[in-house]
Amino acid sequence: MDITLMIKAIAALSVIGVVAAAMLAGAARKFHVEVDARVEEVLAALPGSNCGACGNPSCFTVAMAIVAETMPVTACVAGGQPVADTVAGIMGVEKCEVAAVVSVRHCGGGLAATKRFDYSGLQSCNSVARLAGGDILCPAGCFGYGDCAQACPFDAITVDSRGLPVIDLARCTGCGVCIQECPRGAQGLLAMIPEEAAVVVRCNSKDRPRARKGYCSMCCIGCKKCEKACPNDAIHVVDFLAVVDYDKCTGCGVCVEVCPQECIDLTGRMAIAPATELDGRADKVDGFEPSRDRNRDDA
Amino acid sequence: MEIFQHFALLLIGGALVNNILLTRFIGLCPFFGVSSSMETSFGMAGAVVFVMTLASSATWVFYNVLLEPLGVGEFLYIPAFILVIAALVQFVEMYLKKASPGLYRSLGIFLPLITTNCAVLATATEAVKPGFFKMNMAYGFGFGEALVYTVGVALGFGFALMSFAALRDRLEVAPVPNAMKGTPMAFVTAGLLSLGYIGLGSWFGL
Repeated sequence: MDITLMIKAIAALSVIGVVAAAMLAGAARKFHVEVDARVEEVLAALPGSNCGACGNPSCFTVAMAIVAETMPVTACVAGGQPVADTVAGIMGVEKCEVAAVVSVRHCGGGLAATKRFDYSGLQSCNSVARLAGGDILCPAGCFGYGDCAQACPFDAITVDSRGLPVIDLARCTGCGVCIQECPRGAQGLLAMIPEEAAVVVRCNSKDRPRARKGYCSMCCIGCKKCEKACPNDAIHVVDFLAVVDYDKCTGCGVCVEVCPQECIDLTGRMAIAPATELDGRADKVDGFEPSRDRNRDDA
Repeated sequence: MEIFQHFALLLIGGALVNNILLTRFIGLCPFFGVSSSMETSFGMAGAVVFVMTLASSATWVFYNVLLEPLGVGEFLYIPAFILVIAALVQFVEMYLKKASPGLYRSLGIFLPLITTNCAVLATATEAVKPGFFKMNMAYGFGFGEALVYTVGVALGFGFALMSFAALRDRLEVAPVPNAMKGTPMAFVTAGLLSLGYIGLGSWFGL
């Protein structure tokens, strides 16, 4: 056996190894980035399964966000109260009640939204959303083909005759599957609100009110009547869109009364508005009848 | 002109005719792993171009300066290249974390992932070691040639990955039979796509 060749091979790899090690050691020192020690602690407290239920790709990003205080200590959905308690201990936060959330639809358009074209393809929101931006002019509205209703693992969503999915809050667990399924879920068409929330604004268009009025008769026009009427300073018009602060809202329903567009609805699983299958103004649409058949023809 | 032609051939040969994913089936794990959305496949493609180019340059230097003069390149190239590539990617990651957090975040998980990617190692080996791949014959690439060839392969990787991601995007809404939904359909599609690339290769009599 050729000993010199072996020695040369060992030497060559050693040289590469030593050079690489020196380079990495130097780099680790030179390019050291300060990481908050609490990140490691929070990360250890989280389940570490990277399940994604909170909407983040990994537990590490959540840990960083919690330490940076861009996410609450209760951010971990899978961990629930025990994890929230541990994280709150690390962060020195006292209040850490895990709020149960339910899904809610921020759109009251449906048949009231102007169509851009007649769509006759696959009866699916995800399908129509890929076709020239969808068949309704509103860039934020609900298509109403019921992908969320089909995706809901708890059968809590039905599409009514207005062409809008109605979420049965008695069945909703806040799992968020509908938001992931909805092509506009990430933009805020479907969103999570606290389960005790009493009112919901049925519009999430980011356009100017004039443009909104052009394509939908049910939109928020940013008139601020609700803001002025609210006795608790809980509803504000931000970028021409009414936004409810659920920490302050007491569920008195004044905003629902004053809204000239009938764009704010009573909702909620708790005492204020008992859960019904008919959310909002459904009863005011002529010939209303809850139906799931609209999307089942040829799907 | 001659030189220009030579480099253009190397680039196109590496990118399309010998597409690393679809005619040679190297690096198939990211091909199926990250092609489910256009965004991630774009990130992956960018990271691959970046890492492959660096890896090939570094291994070329180590091979021609250290391994070949010692006469051990013939059998030691794979462990040596793995060592070089792994160290290099670690180094780049540290550097990016400090110097450009934005780029670091956008490359995200892909950078450490491709440390151990077979496509990176295969490309570095082909570009550096004479006679490893039939296209080289027993002819060793110069540094410039190795670089151009690597960029070509990396671009071909990115192109195949992103075109496949676009196809899978359309497949999401296509009426696929229930039994074939998801990965099975992706496999069939990849096979058909691969046929096209292999056909292109055969066209040039390779």
